[in-house]
Amino acid sequence: MPSASPVPTWFGSVATALALSGGPASAAGDKALGEYLSSECSSCHQSSGRQVGGIPAIIGHPADQFVALMITYRDKQRDNQVMQTIAGRLSQEEIEALAAYYESLKPSR
Amino acid sequence: MKIHRRSFVMTGLTAAGTLGLGAPAVLGQAKPRVVVIGGGAGGATAARYIAKDSQGAIAVTLVEENETYQTCFHSNLFVGGFKTYEEISHRYDALTKNHGITLARARATQIDRDKKEVVLSTGQRLPYDRLVVSPGIDLKYDSVPGWSKEVEEQMPHGWKPGRQTQLIKQRLDAVPNGGTIVMIAPPNPYRCPPGPYERASMFAHVLQQAGKKDAKVIILDPKESFSKQGVFQADWEKRYGSMIEWLGPKVHDGIKSVDPKTNTVVTGFETYKDCAFVNVIPAQMAGEIARSAGLAPAGGYCAIDAATMKSTADPNIFVLGDACIAGDMPKSAFSANSQAKVAAMTIRGELTSARTFPARYVNTCWSLVAPDDTIKVGGRYEPKDGKIAATETFVSKPGESAELRKENQAENMGWYAGITADMFS
Repeated sequence: MPSASPVPTWFGSVATALALSGGPASAAGDKALGEYLSSECSSCHQSSGRQVGGIPAIIGHPADQFVALMITYRDKQRDNQVMQTIAGRLSQEEIEALAAYYESLKPSR
Repeated sequence: MKIHRRSFVMTGLTAAGTLGLGAPAVLGQAKPRVVVIGGGAGGATAARYIAKDSQGAIAVTLVEENETYQTCFHSNLFVGGFKTYEEISHRYDALTKNHGITLARARATQIDRDKKEVVLSTGQRLPYDRLVVSPGIDLKYDSVPGWSKEVEEQMPHGWKPGRQTQLIKQRLDAVPNGGTIVMIAPPNPYRCPPGPYERASMFAHVLQQAGKKDAKVIILDPKESFSKQGVFQADWEKRYGSMIEWLGPKVHDGIKSVDPKTNTVVTGFETYKDCAFVNVIPAQMAGEIARSAGLAPAGGYCAIDAATMKSTADPNIFVLGDACIAGDMPKSAFSANSQAKVAAMTIRGELTSARTFPARYVNTCWSLVAPDDTIKVGGRYEPKDGKIAATETFVSKPGESAELRKENQAENMGWYAGITADMFS
């Protein structure tokens, strides 16, 4: 059985990501756009907010951390071919939209 | 009564178009109706997203004959002993309970495009404002001489889930040491491009685990090359020595015939007699309902508009997944799931004036080669010059670290949990 944890480890390195991206970003993203874009994420990531197997939890995190992490994937400073490919086509506005949408969600128990 | 209601909706559409109002189909009393044929990665996802995101404004009916759905994706992990049959089986109950989707447990036998109705095997007719057709593939039983539907249990394909998947495992487990498995791989285009080669890996893994070191897996391929070929072949040699042998058409000189009575396969170059197990994966085409509705005029698959997933033959019909011609996207569950979201968004935009965004698509296919050794191929895609075109792709390379391959497998398992939740929860 895949392991399930409500506490994501993926965001543990966000402090580093923030430093790399030059500081916190705006959280005022377009949530409707974010919700549409998020349908791409939910092919792998659980909308319940659980981490399953090697797919981390991505909901309920501060938007600036989310933005910083996605930028490190977009700029290929962080490894993972799938995430680099997905983040590679996201504009700043789209990343902020996704961040705003995911920040607004609460993990279900 | 139904005709009257449909007429009313049509009038509403016209009025809304004329007046420039925002919400055409909800002007009338009747909810717009969407029928979805097929409860796989395309159909279940489309039904779920239309129902979930329209929050009851659209009546969604999912037509699916089977009570449980066995995923073709990860069926190779069942064959390899990494998953149980229950772990690749799913039910539709949550779609009804959580999203109000009506489940029609029947087979769609006809699409009446003039009346905009789907005819079911029960005789019931389902009227629709928009129709999603996601029937998966049918097999071309005449594509391998000597093979037919009548002998598909003796020489199983295992390319449609359910009993056939179980037969593959039973036949594999019964192969003796020294026995030969012959797999006849399919020609392009077919469901799950790396699938035959992941399956061959699982065959070798099971034989190796059982100590049957003198057994052989011979792949007779009508194609000159196959998905992730370089990395598959490097890994086979490393993991299984010479147990797996891949022969392209220049080597075997054509697959001439099979004889299910004697388990014989004849190629232009050699005759394989008394095989322990022959796995015939034949040529494929769109599911029958799509073809009989005239949605696949040439080549056996359905042309779609790359920006919406609409059939080019009918603006009220969307075709998803393995049945459609998706340009650079492979026929995979991930692709179908991705296409379903574009179709669902377009349908909600047309029926309830929900906000729409430019189409974008994504796919990744993971393949397990050996325990904790998984390779992957993927990309992102966008409409370009009338087709779905790849804008960036990636593929695993030979010689990658064991740590990366293990991470890939953890990702593979997590993806399965993610996509099945995205389809069925």
